[in-house]
Amino acid sequence: MFRKLFYLIFVSLIIVSCNSSNKNEENISEDIEIPDSIFDDKPLIISEEAMSDIIENISSPVEMAALLKETGVPFSKKYLCDVKRIDKLNTNFKRALNLGILSSDMGYLNMYDKTGSVMSSMSAIKSLTDDLRIGQFFDFETIKRLAINHENLDSLMYISVSSFNNMDSYLRETNRSDVSSLIVVGTWVEGMYFATQVAKTAPEGHKIIERIGEQKLILNDILLILKNYQNDKHFYDLVQDFESIKEKYNDVKITYTVGDPESREINGMLIIVTNDESHVEISKEQLTEIVKIIEKVRNKLINL
Amino acid sequence: MKRIIFYIILTLFLFNNNTYAQSDELVNVCALDIGNATYLKDFKVKLQQSNVKPPPCTKFSVVLNKGTIYQFNVCDAAGYEGKAILKLLDHSKLLGSNKKGDGTLMKAFGFQCQKTGVYNIQISFNNGKQGAAVAILSFMNVK
Repeated sequence: MFRKLFYLIFVSLIIVSCNSSNKNEENISEDIEIPDSIFDDKPLIISEEAMSDIIENISSPVEMAALLKETGVPFSKKYLCDVKRIDKLNTNFKRALNLGILSSDMGYLNMYDKTGSVMSSMSAIKSLTDDLRIGQFFDFETIKRLAINHENLDSLMYISVSSFNNMDSYLRETNRSDVSSLIVVGTWVEGMYFATQVAKTAPEGHKIIERIGEQKLILNDILLILKNYQNDKHFYDLVQDFESIKEKYNDVKITYTVGDPESREINGMLIIVTNDESHVEISKEQLTEIVKIIEKVRNKLINL
Repeated sequence: MKRIIFYIILTLFLFNNNTYAQSDELVNVCALDIGNATYLKDFKVKLQQSNVKPPPCTKFSVVLNKGTIYQFNVCDAAGYEGKAILKLLDHSKLLGSNKKGDGTLMKAFGFQCQKTGVYNIQISFNNGKQGAAVAILSFMNVK
């Protein structure tokens, strides 16, 4: 009797644990069409856990868009990628990269309250996430309602960003960091594309130029995650593109001054101010080269 | 006996699904507290009671950008004794926490970043009590 009871509990525990890992999932454990060569038993350079940490460390696309808006840069539709070509993307490698690009576009549209255009981006995102079998993380109906009625724009931003965060966490929890890394790379490239396009005409010392220079810190992390999969030709090509970007950053200098943190109150909230400060030294020539290489890589990705 | 087995399975299923649903729900509730700030990401923590000193914590890392004022909101899940303590560190240098000098816990605090880089976040529960919490990172829109 006790043996039967033991088996029943054991089986139920297995069922429960399977249920947990397959949350919101229907037949999506099967991985996407990124070539199997990547998943061969070749060891990763860094662990999945370390990959997760690195991916978490790449800033949100919303921050770049917020900086553009905060510094008075007007909205421009010409920075956005054309969503009509999304249906032509025929591999999941291309889809994941372009999903990242579109997530940046959506962050940009949301930041400038361009809710009408959010819907066309959202339809393209729906199509890509369905193809990648991760569409379950987006409540498209709610997003559509908020966008169409132009209501509660903070909620629209929250739902959009948290949906992407949940999707990204899910991909990493289910050992699909390769897909996650492509989305992150696409997001970063598009955010940089906005920034560098604006920087073309920005006056010297503009905040956006400093933010572009600071991306030197992120580049090594991106290369680290991409190199994990460079046995695959597509990833290998992407690594080469990022090596070209990194090369343009070689002479960009980031220096630091040290200070002690202090606190002050702003709008009734305790704000800690760190007096450690970073400084970016980037010449006009270096910036021009970075603008060019980002434009080249971004245009390559959207025309894959 | 069959009835006992049925209840064991049912409890396991319900407990398992609720854990996820509750933390997501807590994120949604906590996001309401961020005011005019813009949501960036959330950190979910659940720790068992521990007598170890210092109490165990869950660690996260995040890139913060110069020139941005970030906001950290902390929300504790109902039904647990532990109250979350969030610490923000630059490597091992403590920059700030929601725990004030007198031991009281704030629901939120801000951080004006002057140095772009990777920062560490540690979340533990007071006196190592069992707890579950969500922390939300957002940035303040300063006009």
